[in-house]
Amino acid sequence: MEQNYDFNNIGKKMPYTVPDGFFDQLEEQVMNEVKAEPAQKKSAKTIRIAIRTLLAVAACIALFLVVKKTLPQDSDATIDDFTSVELAFNNLSTEDQDYLLEVYQEEEELIIDNDLNEWKNEESI
Amino acid sequence: MTDDNQIIPAIRENAERGFRLLMAEYKEPVYWHIRRLVVSHADAQDATQETFVRIFRSFSQYNGEGTFKAWIFRIATNEALRLLGRNQGKTTLSLDETAPALLTIKADNYMDYSDVEAVKLQKAILALPAKQQLAFNLRYYDDLSYKEIAAITDSTEATVKANYHFAKEKIIKYMNSNEI
Repeated sequence: MEQNYDFNNIGKKMPYTVPDGFFDQLEEQVMNEVKAEPAQKKSAKTIRIAIRTLLAVAACIALFLVVKKTLPQDSDATIDDFTSVELAFNNLSTEDQDYLLEVYQEEEELIIDNDLNEWKNEESI
Repeated sequence: MTDDNQIIPAIRENAERGFRLLMAEYKEPVYWHIRRLVVSHADAQDATQETFVRIFRSFSQYNGEGTFKAWIFRIATNEALRLLGRNQGKTTLSLDETAPALLTIKADNYMDYSDVEAVKLQKAILALPAKQQLAFNLRYYDDLSYKEIAAITDSTEATVKANYHFAKEKIIKYMNSNEI
């Protein structure tokens, strides 16, 4: 193989060029993007949590009202809390039951996710 | 010049300040590495920007195995190959393929065509399969070790050495030819 080409003649010179001030602009663009990113994610997450919490609170109030309306006035002392909730739940329509279960599951998943994230953070520390 | 041993703790301590140190040290080498692969300035700009965003997002995944420089160049290389693959309607460019970037060498505004020898060298490099381009570029321009290049290309040191050797031979042959 021929070996008479000397790379030292050209060194690391390249024909490529960039616009004036390109690298400074690049740095600013990247910094703006990475600075904006966590804030955007956080605000979207906060909104999601707020909506779910609101739905959970609304579901609890609805359940409480239903329980109060369904139960006989003199049964308060004889029926324990779980039984009363169960009884009230059974008196709801299927759609209402599905809705409450869905909200409850979403809330539970959120709590599990948060616990997992906390656990991961502790592990990484 | 900032050492990686200063950059890494700086990012852990204050992400923004540390990342500025990283950008100051790596924005130019990363851009030029990508530019040599994709040729077009606009593509290189996009891929460089995406590379640094990825570095920022996945910094916590750097586990200290291999050098930080190799980790950064691996992300940059993947981004460049992804871009080249996308231009061909694929997910990424295989290391065994030759990118069609050679065709765009005459179509970019940010190119100094007056330096005939420099243009010819880049054409010689671009005619190589991606794995040989990477071995040559990362060794010749970026002074990376064979071990670091092997980590970047998911390969072995022996394979990288062979690719570098083949690349150099082909480039010498091309540079000695009458092709322009």
